[in-house]
Amino acid sequence: MTNTLPLQGIRIINFGWVWAGPVVGQTLGFLGAEVLKIESRARIDMTRNLPPFAEGVPGPDRSLSNHACWAGNGSVMVDLKHAEGRELVMKLIAESDVVIENFGPGVMERLGFGYEALRAARPDIILFSMPAAGLYGPLDHVRTYGLSLTSLTGLDSLVGYEGGPPIPVENAYSDPFAGIFGGFAILAALHHRRSSGQGQHIDFSQQEAVMQMVGPAYMDYALNGRSGGPRGNRHPTGAAAPHGVFPCAGDDRWIAIAVGSDAEWAALAEAMGSPAWACEPALASVAGRVQAIDRIHAEIAAWTRGHDDRSLATRLQAAGVAATPVLAVADLLDDPHYRARGTFIEVRHPLGFDETLYGGYVKMSRTPAVVRPGPVMGQDNDRAFLDILKLPAEEYQRLKESQVIY
Amino acid sequence: MSSGTTTIRPAALAGLRVIDFGQGVSAPHCARLFADYGADVIKVEPPAGDAARASGPYPDDVPDRERSGLFFFHNTNKRGVTCNVEHPEGRRLFLELIGKADVLVENNLPARMRQWQLDYPTLAALNPRLVMISITPFGQTGPYSGWNGYDLNAYHLSGASARYCGRPREMPLEHGTFSADYFGSVTAAAWGLAAVFGRDAVGGGQQVDVSCAEAIAAAFVGGQNIGGLAQDGRSDSRTGVGMPLGAPATILPCKDGHVWMLALEPGQWKGLCKVMGDPEWARLDMFDDMYTRAQNADLIYELMRDWLMAHGKMEIMEMCQAAGCPVTAVFTVEEAARHPHLQARGHFVDIDHPALGRVRSLGAPFKLPASPGGPHSPAPLLGQHNQDIYGGLLGLPAAEITRLQALGAL
Repeated sequence: MTNTLPLQGIRIINFGWVWAGPVVGQTLGFLGAEVLKIESRARIDMTRNLPPFAEGVPGPDRSLSNHACWAGNGSVMVDLKHAEGRELVMKLIAESDVVIENFGPGVMERLGFGYEALRAARPDIILFSMPAAGLYGPLDHVRTYGLSLTSLTGLDSLVGYEGGPPIPVENAYSDPFAGIFGGFAILAALHHRRSSGQGQHIDFSQQEAVMQMVGPAYMDYALNGRSGGPRGNRHPTGAAAPHGVFPCAGDDRWIAIAVGSDAEWAALAEAMGSPAWACEPALASVAGRVQAIDRIHAEIAAWTRGHDDRSLATRLQAAGVAATPVLAVADLLDDPHYRARGTFIEVRHPLGFDETLYGGYVKMSRTPAVVRPGPVMGQDNDRAFLDILKLPAEEYQRLKESQVIY
Repeated sequence: MSSGTTTIRPAALAGLRVIDFGQGVSAPHCARLFADYGADVIKVEPPAGDAARASGPYPDDVPDRERSGLFFFHNTNKRGVTCNVEHPEGRRLFLELIGKADVLVENNLPARMRQWQLDYPTLAALNPRLVMISITPFGQTGPYSGWNGYDLNAYHLSGASARYCGRPREMPLEHGTFSADYFGSVTAAAWGLAAVFGRDAVGGGQQVDVSCAEAIAAAFVGGQNIGGLAQDGRSDSRTGVGMPLGAPATILPCKDGHVWMLALEPGQWKGLCKVMGDPEWARLDMFDDMYTRAQNADLIYELMRDWLMAHGKMEIMEMCQAAGCPVTAVFTVEEAARHPHLQARGHFVDIDHPALGRVRSLGAPFKLPASPGGPHSPAPLLGQHNQDIYGGLLGLPAAEITRLQALGAL
């Protein structure tokens, strides 16, 4: 292990707001990049004021969800309404490798931060833009929320109970998905820059990124003209059975069981006590089980209903069957696996409270991620304006007093 | 083949060699992302082939291991070899490939890799600069690392389904695709490529241990739930509607399908009312703001029904968007695939495959103008590049390859 992280020396200016953009910065920040998120008291990001708050006290530096989602980003306060503020940020960009933004198309140009302007300040700059549907095309100005963006990909049409209507996913899976995916896009561009000396403007359409998730259903359309629909928890391509979520004893307790091979089916049948229905020769092959999936699922549900989810999962795992309890939020902190892996960590915030957020959720054998609390507004002002831009102290003071640095 | 680009520009990841020793979705998709942007990706399959070959969709549902759509989608731009790592000679060849690689991507259960003596310490001793990306449902360590598991298990272990999808008291739901595998794939691609990028800075390669369940539990579920759970014991659960705190904010039926109905901010609600022809009911005080509307959500959804059922989803989307309201149609897969927007962006590519014929596949997941990417070559047939790789890259004479083949090592 070393103290050096893989992206040490890479500096990023992050205009990202709400969730997806900050997660791009977080991903690269966890990996060692210096990420300076640009924000301002003149227009505080709404997620900074989302409850619950540390110790129950409201305030833009106390939102627990904001801290978890933004950790890894730094914070530099500049009011972009001021020409001087925009000049300061442009000077920071000249000293940086990457700029991240998740506004709609055209907003960066209006702020004076279009790609050509950035290139004038820093010829090999990498600008990463992640609008909902990309930088151009008939839907380039489509308005969506993170949780509805997926409706433009076909993904939402696949979510729901077998044969029923689409059921909404109640939060924006695409935000962290596209945010982390964006980290890969930027690294690809950094790799290119290292060999060519060239920067570029990455057009990262969140719609197209999420369409990767629709790949299997899309291929059924490409090959057979079929459009798919909700299938509950059944195998997405119908290649395995049983494959579902079954009720257990207690309130809202469930177990997920997936049988991927004939050997696993034999093990499951034996664990169920080899009931006559499960021993039918027709069910010994995957084709037979897929054919009889409704009946198999009903029988399994009748069997699981009386069992405790965790002890049943443990028992089935001992027999080699892929079974896991379906965890609720309340189970996450005490789950022995997540505890052992340090998935969630408690950190001391500079404002004096302890908060729990997620740690380095990927385990790097040589360079484990170091995760600090969510950024305090303006925590990196000195770093940006004194260390990087080397502003004279009185100039720095003047800019703060005139609320340019604000 | 048309990739939408006419000039040859250098690929972003040119010069990297990646061994894909994965099956199914997560690792093959991660390796394909490297292949999309120009890495030389060699897919190493067991003699029976990647398990995805045994899955549809197949044309006309006729099973054929060379015509699996699932396999095709995740393995374009790769060369493919067969290798039986359970045979000593096969394992030796695998190690020779590892010696020439920058990256190994794999998604075998940890016990299996140890049993094959292909665990990270063994491989690192051979190639200290290797970045080994391991993507599994539960990860390399921890009490569940020895468990058997698939995408379904990982997703439901993350808290995502019980928290965010399904009706209360009914079965929690995944997305209807391999959501955990894809989340694990992009996570592994980002963290793995960082490990490659920083190899010189940090003094060598390393193992990148990705648990699909953990990545989702942290970055999706954890972000907005873990702080409140730890501090206040707060633990919310799925409601079956899109956004219980505001309204309208859910998926609703219309004349020809469904729309994602969202009108929260005052301007959005005003826009929606205008589009609906300013109905009298919408002027009631109790519909003034998104919170009071949420308290009366069922009533609103009922009152909107007639109007919704009289209009098509694309029409509703167009009218609402024009009125500043972020309503979208719930596209079917076909509607997404045929949408003029994605066509105009050149998101689809035609690729000729020896067994499937011409396939229109999804293009690059993001656009790198200076170093374009995306699929351009078909997924390999089983063992298609054995001569090419074992002969060309490892320098084995043809007779030796034939001998190894006969031994069952390939």
